[in-house]
Amino acid sequence: MAKHLKIRNLAWLRGGAGLGAALLVLVLAAYRPPALRAAAPPDYEALRLYTEALYEISQKYVTPKNEEDMIYGSLRGMMNSLDPDCSFLTAREYQDYVEGRKEPVAEAGVELIYKDNLLTVAAAVDGGPAYRAGLRPGDHILKINGQLVRNLTTQEGARRFRGPAGTALNLQVLRNGLVKPLELTVTLEPLTGGSVTYQGLQDSCGYLRIKLFTDSTPGELATALKAMLAQRPPLRGLVVDLRNNARGTLEQAVRTTAVLVGDKEIVSVKGRRSESSQTYMGKGREAVKPPLPPLVVLTDQGTARAAEIMAGALRDQAQAVLLGAKTLGLCGLTKAFPLADGSALVMTVAACYTPGGAKIQGKGLEPEVAGKPLAAEAKREKAVTPPPDEDPWVLQAVELLKSGKRQAAAKEKT
Amino acid sequence: MRRKYWLPGLAVMLLSLGLVLGVLAQKPGEAPAVPGDSRLKVFAQAMGVVEENYAEPKTPKDLVYGAIQGAVGTLDPHSSFMNPEEFKELQIETKGQFSGIGIEITLKDQLLVVVSPIEGTPAYRAGIQAGDQIVKINGQSTKNMSLTEAVKTIRGPKGSKVTLTLNREGFSAPKDFTIVREIIPIRSVRARIVEGGIGYIRVTNFQDQTDSDLAATLKKMRQRLTPMRGLILDLRNDPGGLLDQAVRVADEFLASGVIVYTEGRTPQQNMRFYARAGQEGESPPFPMVVLINEGSASASEIVAGALKDQKRALIVGTKSFGKGSVQTIIPLDDGSALRLTTALYYTPSGVTIQDKGIVPDVVVEEKPPPTDKSVQSLREEALERHMRKEGLTDKPWSQPIAAQELERDLPLKRAVDLLRHWPPPKSLAQTPPASP
Repeated sequence: MAKHLKIRNLAWLRGGAGLGAALLVLVLAAYRPPALRAAAPPDYEALRLYTEALYEISQKYVTPKNEEDMIYGSLRGMMNSLDPDCSFLTAREYQDYVEGRKEPVAEAGVELIYKDNLLTVAAAVDGGPAYRAGLRPGDHILKINGQLVRNLTTQEGARRFRGPAGTALNLQVLRNGLVKPLELTVTLEPLTGGSVTYQGLQDSCGYLRIKLFTDSTPGELATALKAMLAQRPPLRGLVVDLRNNARGTLEQAVRTTAVLVGDKEIVSVKGRRSESSQTYMGKGREAVKPPLPPLVVLTDQGTARAAEIMAGALRDQAQAVLLGAKTLGLCGLTKAFPLADGSALVMTVAACYTPGGAKIQGKGLEPEVAGKPLAAEAKREKAVTPPPDEDPWVLQAVELLKSGKRQAAAKEKT
Repeated sequence: MRRKYWLPGLAVMLLSLGLVLGVLAQKPGEAPAVPGDSRLKVFAQAMGVVEENYAEPKTPKDLVYGAIQGAVGTLDPHSSFMNPEEFKELQIETKGQFSGIGIEITLKDQLLVVVSPIEGTPAYRAGIQAGDQIVKINGQSTKNMSLTEAVKTIRGPKGSKVTLTLNREGFSAPKDFTIVREIIPIRSVRARIVEGGIGYIRVTNFQDQTDSDLAATLKKMRQRLTPMRGLILDLRNDPGGLLDQAVRVADEFLASGVIVYTEGRTPQQNMRFYARAGQEGESPPFPMVVLINEGSASASEIVAGALKDQKRALIVGTKSFGKGSVQTIIPLDDGSALRLTTALYYTPSGVTIQDKGIVPDVVVEEKPPPTDKSVQSLREEALERHMRKEGLTDKPWSQPIAAQELERDLPLKRAVDLLRHWPPPKSLAQTPPASP
């Protein structure tokens, strides 16, 4: 029980839609805010610099400023300066976060990060509203409904992309390599459908796509795998596509990966406080019967969080070869810390490490085989994703599986 | 940097107001608006929570810098926080000089490359050429060195030495160049002439030396062009700079009247600036055209607005950026600084420029960039032209602008046409002074 609770405790903050209320309350009751434990004395010199800056603003800025705005703006800035998973929540936002969203919410199907003062698309869920509108990983959102995006946090950014079904958002989007910003319209709707798809490829290879992680992903994956492994002739190799997938919790990642690797270590997390450190093992009973065919995992800059855990674990525990582009490196555990006035901080308390000990958070996973440079067309305004059997990186993965060089590539790095 | 491209100059836009630096008295009777105690406590608590629990160790100063960034982020987009390093760089920019060897460098295909040596500098005299690859700086390989890092290593105190190891086509092996650093002026004023007694002056930004450079340029131009039939002042893509320099530049061409006035929250921030008689650009009052575009901001708009309202010049081009606020640089205790918007400014006729910009008398659009090319390739092409010294102001100032150069630049061509057929038709909004 204790261990189970811990996993949930450390589960990612997922938008606001994430965590079960009952569990979270349990966790909070057991948790005393560290500042009240009064360990570290306040750093007066740093505080003096801060008050000096606030004083200057209050005295000299062209219009008078509300003090709460200033302090809350400061807290946003402080959290933004840490990493994109850190956010500040006002008392009301924190309340929503604790209670969880009750009504089913429509959304754009996009994972966003606020970094370097830019709201950036980490990933757009396949077939979701944002994806259909043309948003792709790496796109910067400059304006939402004509309003300049400024001084947000990742949390707030995400909130703008949820709401009643049918809500239209007009976005101005800056894409690398394009001179002019794009104008796109996204209409919010509930995400539906499964998270796993699969199909056969040429030369007896299989293709398996996980577009996001949900609680039903482990089951879907097991079903898909069983069907594929039952095929004759047997699979010569399997391409696991984790590109453009930034949504999912640690628990979902562990359970999903266990389907492939069984009762091995899947990920470990380490923080500065010992209670934040932990190793997560897969459960043997969730695994499909080995042997597994050789694996190639596709990654790109839209591979983050749960997908990064899975990619790292498959590489270290199933001799998978990573092919594509470097992953985002957004793979930490967040926790909420309430403050004295009812507001709260959401903060990364621990970073994820692959079973082999490679740090994912802040670094990303570098694939063994770089994906072939994509034609400039693919980066253009109307991004069209080719079907798997025409996708250049999938074809490259099939070549790798056929050539048998996959093993060599896997060994080289160990 | 990333954002700079689509909003030219946004990141470098600054307009500091040296005059109000220092203590600003409070309004009597108003309690000092120090942050409330309880809210500060929340902040201090938050800092403690982060210090103790964040996955990576963070110093209190890191956190406070982030916090000040956030506080300033709630203000207008022209207010910002600079860490000590950024503040130092700003001071270099606004002083208009630094100590170094006098080369422009860039990263090209991961290699550190000389764009051009600046004429008259130690690098120029040492024979450094455009296109030279910098392999090492003081024996240290430039592989994986960022541009900022390279600039910082090459710069240093006046009189000290730096050794660059350069590779060049034709060298059998990289060669060492040891160069003594000097004070290098940053030129903000460039000039050319046009057939028919017309002068062309381009101001790239407003820093400490701009007005004196402009006065000197005007002087030699008037000696060369007799009579001077007109002047084109090119403020396109000039993001601005120092307010007092904007006033001086406008004053150069005006004998009397208001140039600009500012209004802030306190009386100390309300100021009026008047033109004085006796500058180089006043008499005889040659006809004048000012070129602006959407990249002309703040100080550029003050100059264009004053010359327009005082009917000293005809404004040609496209609407300017529209930044009508004044920023004051406020140094903080530890060497960092705030750049705060402290006042709005108004043109002599009482118009605010904020969001409206200066509307030209004659609208001429520039040739649009080819849409089939990426930002990257456009930037590279511009760099190549600069390295081959093909830019308008890369050539000696006394060399007349050729016809094909005018064909490439439609607003400039129109300005030349207007000055050649002065006075302009009555249908244009203003009646500028008669020709000499």
